[in-house]
Amino acid sequence: MAGRNFTVSKLMIGLILTFISLTMLVPILNLFAKAFSDPGKVHLLHGYDIWPKGFSIVNFQVVLGNPIIGRALFNSLFVTVVGTALSIFFTTITAYVLTRKNLVGKTPIMIVLIVIMIFEPGIVQEYMVVKDLNLLDNLWSMVLYRVINVYYLIIMMRFIEEIPDSLLEAAKMDGAGHLTIFARIVLPLSRIPLLTIGMFYAVMKWNEFFKSSIFLSSRDNTVLQVLLRQFVVEGDSATLVGAANLLQNNQIAQLDFGALKAATIVVAMVPILMLYPIILKYYTNGVMDGGIKE
Amino acid sequence: MNANSRLRRMWADKVLYVMLMPAAAFFAIFHVWPILGMRLAFYEYRILGDHVYVGFKYFKELFGTPIFSQVLANTLIISAMKMFLIFPLPILFALMLNEFVNGKFRKAVQIISYLPHFLSWVVIAGIWFEFLSKSNGIVNDVIRLFGFPAHDFLTDKAAIRWVLVASEAWRNIGWDSIIFLAAILGINKSLYEAAYVDGANRWQIVTRIILPHLYVPMVTVFILNVGFIMNAGLDQVLNFTNASVNSKVDIIDTYVYRVGLINGQYSFATAANLFKSVIGVILVLSTHFLSKKLTSKGAW
Repeated sequence: MAGRNFTVSKLMIGLILTFISLTMLVPILNLFAKAFSDPGKVHLLHGYDIWPKGFSIVNFQVVLGNPIIGRALFNSLFVTVVGTALSIFFTTITAYVLTRKNLVGKTPIMIVLIVIMIFEPGIVQEYMVVKDLNLLDNLWSMVLYRVINVYYLIIMMRFIEEIPDSLLEAAKMDGAGHLTIFARIVLPLSRIPLLTIGMFYAVMKWNEFFKSSIFLSSRDNTVLQVLLRQFVVEGDSATLVGAANLLQNNQIAQLDFGALKAATIVVAMVPILMLYPIILKYYTNGVMDGGIKE
Repeated sequence: MNANSRLRRMWADKVLYVMLMPAAAFFAIFHVWPILGMRLAFYEYRILGDHVYVGFKYFKELFGTPIFSQVLANTLIISAMKMFLIFPLPILFALMLNEFVNGKFRKAVQIISYLPHFLSWVVIAGIWFEFLSKSNGIVNDVIRLFGFPAHDFLTDKAAIRWVLVASEAWRNIGWDSIIFLAAILGINKSLYEAAYVDGANRWQIVTRIILPHLYVPMVTVFILNVGFIMNAGLDQVLNFTNASVNSKVDIIDTYVYRVGLINGQYSFATAANLFKSVIGVILVLSTHFLSKKLTSKGAW
């Protein structure tokens, strides 16, 4: 009797979990279906359809062929790739210094870092700083903005602390300086933490929306998330369809704004989906090890 | 240690300080400088010449502005709704996942449920607008299936905060369950065996063994959420708002953005921001120490 109840409840729980997963998966797959459908048949798709009606990549041709979207995609990639690389480098080198024992001034530095971590500066002031640096409407503002995240720095420090002291001491005996130890021993041994914080930074930089929208003002310097907001929230179809005249066939008349929007959202999701296996492996473990709440 | 030997040690470590320079510069420029700039809340902004010290003038104006009380109330209500309504969900989710020792199903559910956490709010808004679409969204399809008229949740003042709560839950239920699942998986297996030998059923195992083990992460997560109550979700609100519902979801962050960067009332917006930041710091610090006292785990 008890065994039977157990199976029934397990079945119920399985159904609930499946239902929850479907509420997450179906809307995402539905967007893919819309994006890949024949523009003329998109209106036949229901919200629960996960298979395209007909098949066409015309939406992606329009979206990726649109110079504004192409530009924004390039800018997003630039900010993410260059930003992540610089962030990893400067976070690691700083973490190395701050994990050196007997470093004079370590305690006051850590106190300043904690203060920085919990006191959010005002957006008006951040805007003015970027303006004073002459970095407004310059992609470097987004590359350099919060180049070192204090949470991630502390996680990196915890990883570096794990490296056995004897290893570093031995190198010191052989006459290696801090730069050599950092480059030849710490960096090669930190591949996993580097990937971990690399994933943190990459997700953060790719998804950054608000700061991009205030620091970058011109069309040429906009990023995908900001442009996407224009389509999704403000329903600006002119920009999206504007480049459709690139198409030489008669499909232009059939283009569906909803499907173009879906294709743009898919483009904004693809890098995350491509990195997702690595994100799962390193980001997730990193968060559990670091014990931080994101 | 006297000052002399300290200086000598610093000199010996000079390479380290050089390596620290870029970080010091970045923090000075992107954190310390704007924080110092927040003194503008006490000054009247002038484009040319020195700003004039006006004391608490802008704070008085701020608290005398009805919109600000509305915005403050919105912030607290939305945060509190998220905090109390969403809090139990990841715990339940972790408990349910734990029923599946068989790895494949659990793994699949985990992989799917973590995904929304990594999507930006703009992308999520795009997904949810379709999801809730009046003409062909799933939600309204189901509503019609039961014979009710379709409803536009996104422009409904009574519904929009629930949309914020639901989309927040959708985004984070899986992700937030990680910490609880880890705690459950860390429970010593012999405890279960002993309980089974004593004739405990599954429900008793959950209530007598698993839930007590979740006490520490539960208290930690809840207390830390309280610390961030002034952050009701800027990106989310910006992407889910529209003219018909703005009065219900306008939070301090969106208010500061509008008044400061769009209307150019720099000092006034800075005062609002400073108020928010100071309350935030007080809450984070006190909840950090409270959490440390209760569970030996703090915010950092």
